[in-house]
Amino acid sequence: MIRFDQVSKRYEGGHEALSQLSFEVAAGEMAFVTGHSGAGKSTLLKLLGLIERPSHGVITLEGQNMAKIGRGGIPKLRRRLGMVFQDHRLLMDRTVFANVELPLMIGGMAPNERAKRVRAALEKVGLLSYERQLPATLSAGEQQRVGIARAIVAKPMLLIADEPTGNLDPTLAVEIMSLFAEFQSVGTTVLIASHDLPLIKKMKKRVIVLDHGRLVADVAAQEVL
Amino acid sequence: MSTQPEFPMESPLLSDQSRGIRTKARPVASWREHHGWSAAASLRRLMSRPVGTLLTVAVMAIALALPLTFYLLLGNVQKMGEALGQNQTVSVFLQPGQSGSSADLMAKKLRDRADVASVKVKTPDQGMDELAKMQGFSGALHTLDANPLPFVLEVLPRTDVNADGVDRLVADMRGLQGVDQVQDSGTWRQRLEALLGVGERAVLILAGLLAVAVLLVVGNTVRVDIASRSEEIGVLMLVGASRAFVRRPYLYAGIWYGLFAGVLAAGFAVLVELALAEPVAKLGQAYAGKLQIDVLPPWLLASVPVAAAFLGWLGARLVSAWQLRKAA
Repeated sequence: MIRFDQVSKRYEGGHEALSQLSFEVAAGEMAFVTGHSGAGKSTLLKLLGLIERPSHGVITLEGQNMAKIGRGGIPKLRRRLGMVFQDHRLLMDRTVFANVELPLMIGGMAPNERAKRVRAALEKVGLLSYERQLPATLSAGEQQRVGIARAIVAKPMLLIADEPTGNLDPTLAVEIMSLFAEFQSVGTTVLIASHDLPLIKKMKKRVIVLDHGRLVADVAAQEVL
Repeated sequence: MSTQPEFPMESPLLSDQSRGIRTKARPVASWREHHGWSAAASLRRLMSRPVGTLLTVAVMAIALALPLTFYLLLGNVQKMGEALGQNQTVSVFLQPGQSGSSADLMAKKLRDRADVASVKVKTPDQGMDELAKMQGFSGALHTLDANPLPFVLEVLPRTDVNADGVDRLVADMRGLQGVDQVQDSGTWRQRLEALLGVGERAVLILAGLLAVAVLLVVGNTVRVDIASRSEEIGVLMLVGASRAFVRRPYLYAGIWYGLFAGVLAAGFAVLVELALAEPVAKLGQAYAGKLQIDVLPPWLLASVPVAAAFLGWLGARLVSAWQLRKAA
């Protein structure tokens, strides 16, 4: 599903966020990317969403070289990804329902079908009764769940999340992570950047460890203690 | 551009029917739906800040109404000039001492010309009477022993004779024997025509400049709008919106601004017409009902909102392309 081959990313100004990174993630797999802040976790996810482009190396997604996706192809790619952000990135002036509906509207789905899908996604994250509310009236954990509902509503092939539990208390964090594990169990590939090691250990999934942009450890799920 | 599909259909995940957005080949329906949504949403946004919208629309409307008003005035002055020009006679003063019979003879010859509509012979006595009717002259005239006025032929050129033709006629008459001088009051007509030509060009230039002003006003308003919504635009792009999708509501906002401003400008122009109608009617009475206000044709009034909507769209399009160029 995902293949990084000698990928480096150097930002303007010379800071090298990723350096000669190579790894693969199989379809249907769930993996954590971890490391101290500045290790390159966010950069890695940004490369997958084509928010950034690599300076060197090749990233292959579903067998396609991502370098060949031009500007015009980016929206198409993103419609097949679900992205969850630490700061939710919700539209605060639209209802919970409208926020989750957004990817489907962009994808051109018929309104009645959209409504069904949105309600299914909201039910999945336990927020069905909040659909008419504005995000600002929700707690941080609830807002994060709205973000997750938006990421999964179009049934993406790949779900990527950048510190999705960064602002949440431990119990909520476990809930959110379990939610991601559920999506993996129905066949979605899931890649989560997190620095919360105790939580990652609890999840018993593959862990990719970065340090200063280099891969320092790749621990298989069964080896996670 | 690669001709290959971005995600090959052999991909196992694509063939999984439960995955992805199945749009059931309704691109036209969804496109239309989003246009409708964008038009309504942008209108709602404009209405949600009525004062700002009104100010923008008013500035644009004034910019559009100015050339319209000048065009209206110009048309009326032109019409007035034509109407007055039709009364313009050329006065041919005969040398003192020319008799009534030679004046009549000359009048008869002139009447035979193809470019002359009519010739009226004014005797010295008639001239004296006219002068006497003018205030302030009667006293002075009594002090004269004899009538010093010559015979005058008032020659009216045919209306289809242009300025050059009138010039030729005047030159011919100057060369006639017994003619003292020829007063061609038609030169002011030429001057008016030249002036109207300058005015017409000025209106065109003004209209062009003000169209640019309309573009700038719309462009700047949309620019501020986009800047204040950069976060929303970022989110839309992150969840897969194309540039066209993101841009659409702003283009509709430009169209709305232009449309409203155009309607308002046409309204202004009609008000100016109404305001001018009465004084022009009075002026018309003074010229024996020959003058009537020349109104803007309905097609012109109707095309103002259309043209303004196009200008609004163009301004929004230019600015949004520039503004979204860096959005990824």
